Amino acid sequence: MLSSIMGSLRREARFMLRERAMRLWLLVALAASVIAVSAGSVEVAAQRATIERLLTADRADRAAQLAQQSDWGSAAYYASHLTYDPPSALAFAALGERDTMPWKHRIRMLALEGQIHEADVANPELALVGRFDLAFVAAFLLPLLVIVALHDLRARERQAGRLELLMSLSDGRLWALRGGLRGMAIGVCVLLPGLVGGVISGAPWAALAALAAVVLLHAAFWTVVCVVAAAAARSAAVVLTVLIALWWSTAVLLPAAAGAAIERAVPLPAGGEIVLLQRETVNDAWDLPKETTMSAFVAAYPQWAGHTAVARPFEWKWYYAFQEVGDLRAAPLSDARRRGIAERDRLAGAWAWASPSALVERALQRVAGTDVDASQRYLDRVRAFHAALREFHYPKLFRDEPIDAARSADLPMWSPGLPATRARR
Amino acid sequence: MRQVLRIARDEWRQWSRSRLAWVSSALLLLVLVSTAVLTFLQVAQETEARSALQRQAHDTFLSQPARHPHRMVHYGHYVFRSPSPLAAFDPGLDPVTGQTLFLEGHRQNTAAFAAAAAGARLGGLPALSPAVVYQLFVPLLLIVLGYGAVARERESATLMPLLMQRVSGGTLVAGKLWALGATALLLTLPVAAIGLWATIAGDSGWAALGVAALCALYLLAWCAIIVAVSAVFRSRHSALAALAALWIAAAWVVPAVSVDAAARTQPVPGKIDTDLRMLAELREVGDGHNAAAPAFARLREDLLAQHGVERPEDLPVNLRGVVAQHAEAKLTRVLDRYADERMAGETAQAHAARSFGWLSPVVAFATASRALAGTDLDNHHRFMREAEALRFRFVQALNRIHAEQLAYTDDIARSRDAEAERRTRVDPSAWRVLEEFRFRPASVATRLQSAAPALFMLLAWLSLALAACAWSARRLETSP
Repeated sequence: MLSSIMGSLRREARFMLRERAMRLWLLVALAASVIAVSAGSVEVAAQRATIERLLTADRADRAAQLAQQSDWGSAAYYASHLTYDPPSALAFAALGERDTMPWKHRIRMLALEGQIHEADVANPELALVGRFDLAFVAAFLLPLLVIVALHDLRARERQAGRLELLMSLSDGRLWALRGGLRGMAIGVCVLLPGLVGGVISGAPWAALAALAAVVLLHAAFWTVVCVVAAAAARSAAVVLTVLIALWWSTAVLLPAAAGAAIERAVPLPAGGEIVLLQRETVNDAWDLPKETTMSAFVAAYPQWAGHTAVARPFEWKWYYAFQEVGDLRAAPLSDARRRGIAERDRLAGAWAWASPSALVERALQRVAGTDVDASQRYLDRVRAFHAALREFHYPKLFRDEPIDAARSADLPMWSPGLPATRARR
Repeated sequence: MRQVLRIARDEWRQWSRSRLAWVSSALLLLVLVSTAVLTFLQVAQETEARSALQRQAHDTFLSQPARHPHRMVHYGHYVFRSPSPLAAFDPGLDPVTGQTLFLEGHRQNTAAFAAAAAGARLGGLPALSPAVVYQLFVPLLLIVLGYGAVARERESATLMPLLMQRVSGGTLVAGKLWALGATALLLTLPVAAIGLWATIAGDSGWAALGVAALCALYLLAWCAIIVAVSAVFRSRHSALAALAALWIAAAWVVPAVSVDAAARTQPVPGKIDTDLRMLAELREVGDGHNAAAPAFARLREDLLAQHGVERPEDLPVNLRGVVAQHAEAKLTRVLDRYADERMAGETAQAHAARSFGWLSPVVAFATASRALAGTDLDNHHRFMREAEALRFRFVQALNRIHAEQLAYTDDIARSRDAEAERRTRVDPSAWRVLEEFRFRPASVATRLQSAAPALFMLLAWLSLALAACAWSARRLETSP
């Protein structure tokens, strides 16, 4: 039994490789994947180089700024800190949201809501089209290649006048075997360059296994669809049109429609409102009695209750207190926006089950750590880092300590592995 | 000519019998109409919301109480980019670029809150719009309708009899082209409707006409490609497979490759990257808050000498305000230089990506459509420039008030002396120096100019495809 299956497999493999059209499709799949993986790797290398370059320039800038300051208040005002989310070992396979969502910010101790929405993103004209990465090849091109290669399995035999003979000899397992072998061969051609790239970049085995499972399952899904469709209709042209229509509805139409519906169903607080509110609060504070600001601040930080007396028209502790109060005022809106984005992403994940292509792309982005969730977690870490900066400076500002060059070396340092504990809830 | 029309009529009759043709046309029309309506509503809503926010931001600025003018420099102002009415056809870069920009002293911010960064992500396209339907899916319908145009005649052995009835290969191909082309032109009618609406809504009629012409040109190029391929291949089925492969390459592979090629050959450093380089340079300019900084010693000396006084207190102007003006002007020159450099880099990158229009008419169409709709990269850059010009004018106007209306002695005492602080506040009527910001669509001439290279590419595509039709027609006669 087993040997007969192996025998037919070998025979079908020989047939497959003898066909010029099939060889062409396999080559196209392999070439597309190689191009995608190398382009992705180049981009990831460029992002790593950017981070290295920025780290050096960031340290130099901070040192130069700190050297000129004579008190902790202006030191905190002028010292900016680079934060970044480094690409994972598998990021080359799914560059994902890294083109539209920021993965680097320079943060200082001023109100965070005025800084965190700044976006240092790529050229919008390029972001509009999207990248030619492995996720794109696996999610969108792979089904098309499987469709084009498999839709005429029967029609070709009919044309060669062998169909009747073949039908009488086999029980349908032949088409499953033939189609399965070809569909999976295309899947393997798409997958292999990705695995090679992953091994080179040192991706963990579990991630590589997930990548392989996603790509091969996707290839298997479309193979089954093609084999079933080819059995249902006589004309190869009809089969091809129906399959492309199916791909079009699931890969293009449904995601677009679902995306639009989700965005309507889950409205976000306008970004403009958050920053306007934050600015109003921060600016109004200049004209408010100092006690109003300080008591609002102490409500959130009771430990400084005894240190809130502000004698002069301008004092740094008061300045940073109203920056913080601005953030506190904008926090409900900002939280609502963050929750809205997470909710939109959750719904998109649910809808993706109706679109294999969207599911594949999202799964690969998740494995590569380039999805919306990863980007939100990065922003949470930035918030945590900003909290650490405040925690470092508040004792110095409220106790009015003189600046100490040695202690500014103890400034919190950004590390991409920083836990994303929320500073305030 | 009569023969050409007869062949076209036959072709239409053939389609009317095909269920596939009916179903796919109906499906496409449904998608097209619903997309057009949705995009139209979306753009109308965005336009409304952004102009309301713009008015609100302006009124808020004017209604600020009496305060030190430099406080207003930091208080800043928000500007919003309104979409052009033709964005209802092609929103272009609008969803991927921030719609609002915070203008303040001493800084040039980036536009924040791009819709795409907060959208539901299901992969693939950012959003459907009429332009995307025309760019990607109307060609697909034309392929489904037309792939068999000539190949069917050959397959059902009606080609030989036709050619023997003194119908030349040229006439046959022309007739098929006529049938498909007329349909394509019919399919551009919705564009004309959108264009008409945009014209009524205040966009340029010529730009709207340009968009309709662009769609016609693009679809005709596809028609010629389809008929040529249909005439070349032996069987309907291989013609369809070839056209499907062509569509995949043109619509999906080439655009994605163009992005990577452009990013690789024309790298543009990010904002933080340039900011850090700029900060190093700016440390030379000096901090305009600190009139005693060594960078301003020369200015101070000159000013004192010019007025023949010894101490800044005796100047008829406020030294701090003069320094603020001077520093802002100097700083802005540096900021502008870096901003120009960055925009030039982005433009070069975009040009590199657009040149792939020679490899795919889809890329050429997308470029021309964004340019004509006034939603391209140039438009976003123009928004950034106009906003920056506004920023510089109101900041300098406030600095002039600082220099001319505030006493230097009060100004230096204000962080210690509450009475002096009160005297440094100027009347809110001064905030009227802020000009209204209204972002208007680019002129037709500008739009046509930036669309011209892509339109030229599409013309080349059409000519090439027509030449292929002519060649295949001759080949029909020699080897039917």
